[in-house]
Amino acid sequence: MYKLSHHDLIILLASMSAMLIFSRIASELGRKLKFPGVMGELIVGILLGPTILGEIAPDFSHSLFPKVGNVSIALDGIVKISVIMMLFVAGLEVQLPLMLKQGKAAVYTSSLSMVMPFLTGFLVAWFFPNLFEIKDEKQHLLFSLFLGTALAISALPVIARILMDMNIFKTRIGMIIIASAMFNDLLGWLIFSFIISFMSGGASTVNVWYSIASIIGFGLFMLTLGKKLIDRALPWIQTKLSWPGGVLAILLGSCFLCAAFTESIGIHAILGAFIAGIAFGDSVHLNEKAREIIHQFVTNIFAPLFFVSIGLSVNFIENFNWLIVVIILVLAYVGKVAGAGIGAYLGGFTKKESLAIGFGMNARGAMEIILGNLALNAGLINETVFVALVIMALITSLSSAPLMRKFLELN
Amino acid sequence: MDLSRLKKRASFPFETIATAVAFSPRLESILAETKRISVLFNTNLVLIHIGEKTTEKEETLDKLIEKIGFDKDKYRIIWMDGDPVDTILKLCKLNTVDLIILGALEKENLFKYYVGSIARKISRRAKCSVLLLTNPSVSPKKFKKIIINGVDNIKTIHTLRAMVYFARYEKTKNITVVQEVNIPTLAMTMADSNTAPEANKIKKELVQEESIKLQAMLDSLDKMDIEVTMKTLNGKPGYAISNYAKIKNADLLVFNSPDTHLGIFDRIFTHDIEYVLADLPCNLLIIHSRV
Repeated sequence: MYKLSHHDLIILLASMSAMLIFSRIASELGRKLKFPGVMGELIVGILLGPTILGEIAPDFSHSLFPKVGNVSIALDGIVKISVIMMLFVAGLEVQLPLMLKQGKAAVYTSSLSMVMPFLTGFLVAWFFPNLFEIKDEKQHLLFSLFLGTALAISALPVIARILMDMNIFKTRIGMIIIASAMFNDLLGWLIFSFIISFMSGGASTVNVWYSIASIIGFGLFMLTLGKKLIDRALPWIQTKLSWPGGVLAILLGSCFLCAAFTESIGIHAILGAFIAGIAFGDSVHLNEKAREIIHQFVTNIFAPLFFVSIGLSVNFIENFNWLIVVIILVLAYVGKVAGAGIGAYLGGFTKKESLAIGFGMNARGAMEIILGNLALNAGLINETVFVALVIMALITSLSSAPLMRKFLELN
Repeated sequence: MDLSRLKKRASFPFETIATAVAFSPRLESILAETKRISVLFNTNLVLIHIGEKTTEKEETLDKLIEKIGFDKDKYRIIWMDGDPVDTILKLCKLNTVDLIILGALEKENLFKYYVGSIARKISRRAKCSVLLLTNPSVSPKKFKKIIINGVDNIKTIHTLRAMVYFARYEKTKNITVVQEVNIPTLAMTMADSNTAPEANKIKKELVQEESIKLQAMLDSLDKMDIEVTMKTLNGKPGYAISNYAKIKNADLLVFNSPDTHLGIFDRIFTHDIEYVLADLPCNLLIIHSRV
């Protein structure tokens, strides 16, 4: 069995310590300025990574965050586990009944806010592949599908936070935005899992149908029989096992088990974690305190490690291409605002309210960055497109609140 | 079918009550409960049987009617063939029924739950109020502990008015209006960049906002001489109140009629009244306010 050497362990602990402490400082500063926490974490990654520290003190940067060797592998494992746990907690908050309750307006808003940005991204990538330096035939279709999905996804945590800060969370507008964002996330991650499994499984028809059947079959099982099992087991777990350790261990254990299962059948591990999260989160028996603890644990320990690692792996200056950034930004705004806005208008909202809903749903935040990172690791996109996606995620998140305020005429 | 009489018709006073006659072992107790409520509100009564009219069935029903003591001028029996749910719903509309009383099991088996029993299907689709009796008795008792779902919805004020009317006739002194507070994504949002006092403040404000809305609704309600108590519960809508009704041994749980057509997805991704229909904690009254 390979083990980390004494020196490797020191480096690993020092690098994780730097990632956690500096990202916490940056997040606290960002909080004062009302910036999303993820922004501070990304900036720390950029400062510590090849973009800044790597240029100023390359030896120090490489010794603290080595690109090869045992420490690099250990850190990669931690980052991968972080992504799986982040998808699990994202799933915990997806409440499908909320969408069913909102009726016609939610159906129009959620479907159009998914379809229009998806089509916008897909068609531009399909007809202008050269813009994104896509040459491979197989890559062409997958990249087009990916760009559509990347533009269609929303960032539930950022959106919920904006609505709470604006004091419109429990209004009809707030609930429509939340329900639609949940639907976008669910469908977005399903499509993305399909793209990723297709990417690794090859382009044969058998593989496509196998992937689709696996994703649908696993989802249906977890959300029906799996959910019933969870409903029966959770009360027992929460009363008979030690609190909160028992329920936390079972939740995370189940998350990893589902992730391992989906990875083993050729679908990405994230889908297993995400759907396990939905199944657990939908249970009426999941104690609110347990939900809070797991969110705190993942959001404040594992999410910073992941977001800092992004800055550590990509040079944001070298890979900054203003044309791609502008194209992706324009596509993101046009597709999402028009889609969600038209949907809301058809659902009975006024023009101004519909635009506010469109801009509310436009925030991409952390979810976009996770999606982009997974696509980058799978070789689906290059670093230039990834940097553009990160910038788009940050700009859409920052612009959501002021634009919503403007159209809702709030101070 | 002329449905103009039904349009915007208030959910109370009850003028016509109907019940479904199924010739099950619980028939006598359901008829006894129906008679009590019919006498209480001084209403006309329609007894509906969907199925073949046979001499044996007629004799059984006549005997029970005589035993229970229905007022001859106040009731009539309709025998009709057809799909039970559709035919009962159609007859309720044709006869301008204000309340239909049905017997229902507390819990259905998994298959029947997803497919839907007759009583539950009628509860989801009826254009009049529905009373589901879980434990009907040949010696009916009045509903003493009444719990009403005080959800933030345009229909709730109508339901509350109907229940003040109901409680006055029933001579129930106190009704409890329950508000369920559930803030989706709260745990996730609070985990991201909030100090503990900030998180508590936001939570408190969101709960308070809900309470203020319900309090304003209750303040605007003409309560007559009925005492109305407000109770706030944390938990998923539908499930929290159902659990509370079970713990409190409530006699009657009251809900607004569903806003949308409830289908199988609403049973798979259970929410609101579907939690109650999945496992009835006590008798359930669904007020259809026709707004």
